[in-house]
Amino acid sequence: MRYNLWFGVYEDGKVEKSSNLEESFLNAENEEPAPFNISEVGVKIFGGRVEYYTSLRKVALAVAERLVEQELKREDRYVVALVKALEEVEEAINMLKEKVEDIRTVKDSEIVADFEDKIEELKNLKKKIEREIEEIMTKIAPNLTEIAGAKITAKLLERAGSMERLVKLPASKIQVIGAEKSLYKAFARMKKGKKAKIPKHGIIFLHPFIRTLPKSKRGKMARFLAAKIAIAAKIDYFRGEIDESLYESLRKRYEELRRK
Amino acid sequence: MKMVVRNVYLSDGMLVTKSRYGSHYGEKVFDGFREWIPWRSKLAAMILKGYTIDFRGEEIILYLGAASGTTLSHLADIIDEGFIYAVEYSAKPFEKLLELARERTNIIPLLFDASKPWKYSGIVEKVDFIYQDIAQKNQVDILERNTEFFLKEGGEILIMVKARSIDSTAEPEEVFDNVLKRIESRFEILKHGNLEPYHKDHLFVHAKLF
Ligand SMILES: C[S@@+](CC[C@H](N)C(=O)[O-])C[C@H]1O[C@@H](n2cnc3c(N)ncnc32)[C@H](O)[C@@H]1O
Repeated sequence: MRYNLWFGVYEDGKVEKSSNLEESFLNAENEEPAPFNISEVGVKIFGGRVEYYTSLRKVALAVAERLVEQELKREDRYVVALVKALEEVEEAINMLKEKVEDIRTVKDSEIVADFEDKIEELKNLKKKIEREIEEIMTKIAPNLTEIAGAKITAKLLERAGSMERLVKLPASKIQVIGAEKSLYKAFARMKKGKKAKIPKHGIIFLHPFIRTLPKSKRGKMARFLAAKIAIAAKIDYFRGEIDESLYESLRKRYEELRRK
Repeated sequence: MKMVVRNVYLSDGMLVTKSRYGSHYGEKVFDGFREWIPWRSKLAAMILKGYTIDFRGEEIILYLGAASGTTLSHLADIIDEGFIYAVEYSAKPFEKLLELARERTNIIPLLFDASKPWKYSGIVEKVDFIYQDIAQKNQVDILERNTEFFLKEGGEILIMVKARSIDSTAEPEEVFDNVLKRIESRFEILKHGNLEPYHKDHLFVHAKLF
């Protein structure tokens, strides 16, 4: 068996040392656990325990620094692209469903079955994209995901365009993201001197803590949630560490409003 | 001052670790000690509640979910003659962990996904101890996979379980029972308990591989 180790390739008890340690470090993948202890082999190769760990740390640090920089730049853009793609896929599914219905009412032919296969395939793709979005959101925005869920968070991120821009949005804006259309309509009516209702919530309306409240309480909850989202976005962007108290305060506020 | 675990002391109700280093996350530092804040670290909460672990200081540890290094910084004080492989997959907190890893010669930072141990299987050696704090739905699977790849026979694990991450609708007690049952099938459980009042609905499990 061959084993890819961070300092080279191990085969039949011998090691061929790598000429580029950073590269072999990133390729140190193996399907099976090694039947020997890597450090024991390495200590011999590097000529001592101190030497082994000094090199390992040096390479690990260099690789980590490079990866961190790359990752920080890319992940949020990837989610933005995925959310956009997801919306298109959903539309395509709906469109195909309509068309196949049109065909079926005239004649239930083999083509109808083909259409249905395609729809099934697209549904699977949709699920896959959703899972990917969820996975990345919990990673790059753990607090947002915890308080608002991956779906809402990803949509907010998509509308904002990037984490950097999301972080700069005030809570009042976050509250109505996704309701722009009705917001502009309301403004237009007001300009003409007519009465209009200002929308109280956009995307965040999907949140169960808002949806499950009586209508009269939703505005209050939306304002509270938007404020917490604004805070969570900042923590995620600047520190990336989970703050348990955010969800707790949200739940408390929800219980309060529900009881009142 | 009373020593409760190697390099860990209780001083007037405050937990501290003996350390040559400065503050990492805003904790107080005084004459060679760093305050260890139980609200910030589940391991500190556990020790403060009277559950201890007999670290010898020369262990090789695999730490899954090291985040920005809050707990890791204290563990590095304790394991002053061993090494800690610190795995974290989120780049943001990892930036801060890197600051720590640059000054601590016993930390090996790894930006990897802990659910894919094969990706770092040619880097991490066989370890004496796995510490896991990753708040994920499949965290027990992740623990098992890493155990298979890296844990020595008779090695120990300490896992922090957050009920809401595993199942947000079930009762925490029910979630914990299931987790304990799964761990019991491969490990001998040494101790387990909650982390109230410092961390709500969390369970720690300390166990030893058969
Ligand atoms: C509760 S925090 C850990 C706090 C840390 N142990 C401490 O006490 O300082 C959980 C961490 O696990 C990380 N995490 C979650 N899933 C992971 C995975 N599959 N691989 C690596 N890290 C993961 C998260 O990014 C997060 O930083």
